[in-house]
Amino acid sequence: MKKYFGIFKINLLNSLAYPAELVTRSLMIVLFMWIFYQLWRVTFAASGADVINGLTLRDTMWYLLLAETLELGRPRLARVISQQVKDGSIAYLLNKPYDFLLYQLSSGLGESLPRMGMLFVLGGALVWAMAGPPPALVNWPLALLALAGAWLLHFCANALIGLSAFAVEEVAPFEWIYQKFVFILGGMLIPLDFYPAWLQAVAKSLPFAYMMYGPCRLFVRPDMQIFVQIILGQVFWLMVSGGILILAFSRGMRRLAINGG
Amino acid sequence: MKELKFLTALWKTNLASAMEYRVAFISQTIGMILNDGVYFLVWIIFFDRFKDIRGWQLTDMFLVFGVSASAFGLAGILFGNAFNLGEIIVNGRLDYYLSLPRPTLLHVLTSRAVPSGFGDFLYGFVSYLASGQFSIDGLGRFVLAVILATVIFITFLVIVQSLAFWLGTGGTFTGIAINAMVTFALYPITLFNNTAKLVLFILVPAAFMGAVPAGFVRSFSWSTLGLMSLAAAGFLSLAVLLFRLGLRRYESGSAIQVEV
Repeated sequence: MKKYFGIFKINLLNSLAYPAELVTRSLMIVLFMWIFYQLWRVTFAASGADVINGLTLRDTMWYLLLAETLELGRPRLARVISQQVKDGSIAYLLNKPYDFLLYQLSSGLGESLPRMGMLFVLGGALVWAMAGPPPALVNWPLALLALAGAWLLHFCANALIGLSAFAVEEVAPFEWIYQKFVFILGGMLIPLDFYPAWLQAVAKSLPFAYMMYGPCRLFVRPDMQIFVQIILGQVFWLMVSGGILILAFSRGMRRLAINGG
Repeated sequence: MKELKFLTALWKTNLASAMEYRVAFISQTIGMILNDGVYFLVWIIFFDRFKDIRGWQLTDMFLVFGVSASAFGLAGILFGNAFNLGEIIVNGRLDYYLSLPRPTLLHVLTSRAVPSGFGDFLYGFVSYLASGQFSIDGLGRFVLAVILATVIFITFLVIVQSLAFWLGTGGTFTGIAINAMVTFALYPITLFNNTAKLVLFILVPAAFMGAVPAGFVRSFSWSTLGLMSLAAAGFLSLAVLLFRLGLRRYESGSAIQVEV
């Protein structure tokens, strides 16, 4: 575990080494949150209601902030791994005394945490100014636990897409479509609560809702029963996706041919 | 005429180069069509629930998506380097183009094609067909609107990335500019107040990539066509001027390299 913590720490320090770059890269969230606010402000006003399907405008904005933080802050591992597979640099990671997948997990986490923190702070400042203060601090621990589960699910999906480079030439289309499923069935751009009942049921039976909707909903409307459901769902989908990932990695290793160095 | 021949030759080469990896090319094209289609479901779900945003309806979204996607795709197909011009400037890779007897800006922009652009370009037509507004003259307006929106999008990218001559950095700023342009273009313009609209017409001219051309596709208007043409000419002039001014400040380590 010590070596993985070392890898995590190196990547964390690396991300923090250029604070101006970190801030500039994170500014995108300000733009997105401003547009979301315009959209939902007008939508709430047009509907003539302060609460739509259990969410206020303020809840909706903080929900969307956490969703954007996770989406923009998660590491783009699919691209990194597929590049390592395609250009053969994976060989330099495989002959080191650590597990390839745990290495990716540690480095990805080290890279992701400062970015997510900065995104949340910048976007949060704007949301606070426009829509009101964040949910009470007491709501945060449950959401943070679910956020960790969601991050791990994203990791498994991304690593799996990256490893598909063993079998296909181009993995970018898988990444685009996976991202759009998270947008739609994860409730990233519109909270699932605003969907028709049948679509909510479909979305909640798939892993995408646990990657996005779960932590965001808990953040604005904490509920112990929903928390337990979300954590159980995340554990189930982590077992499924983690199992497939380990299987795909071992199969990929059998296909790997390294010529020289 | 000479430049047109040159451009045609470059575009043919780019297409042949993209088609060399046929499976990757086809998968990226189909993947992008699916990507755009799945993304649009957000608006179908939204308008199914909320119906109308200050007079803006799902049909308008189909038109806006159609023009924007095709313009974005066409920019990638014909002027693929517009997306990484800043990086080229900062890394001193303009040397290659400067050493050849062709217009530098035009040459650098057209020297690369983005294969997924074909998917975006085609999706735009699908979106237009799905809008329920299809007609033969409407298709003509759609094509014209896409061409003008492409010119404005490309020239905006050139303007933003020419700042790299002065700032010495490219990537992050470009990313924000592209995201701003595309995001603003794809949202209903009725959401924004007058100040924000002014920004969307001048500073980040997203209105000329989404709402304005979409309105033109819906119904012909000389004033809209004039406005779009004027904007395209204005942004084109500004882009060429800024790039030329920047070129005077350009310096590199004489990195003559082979562009493959």
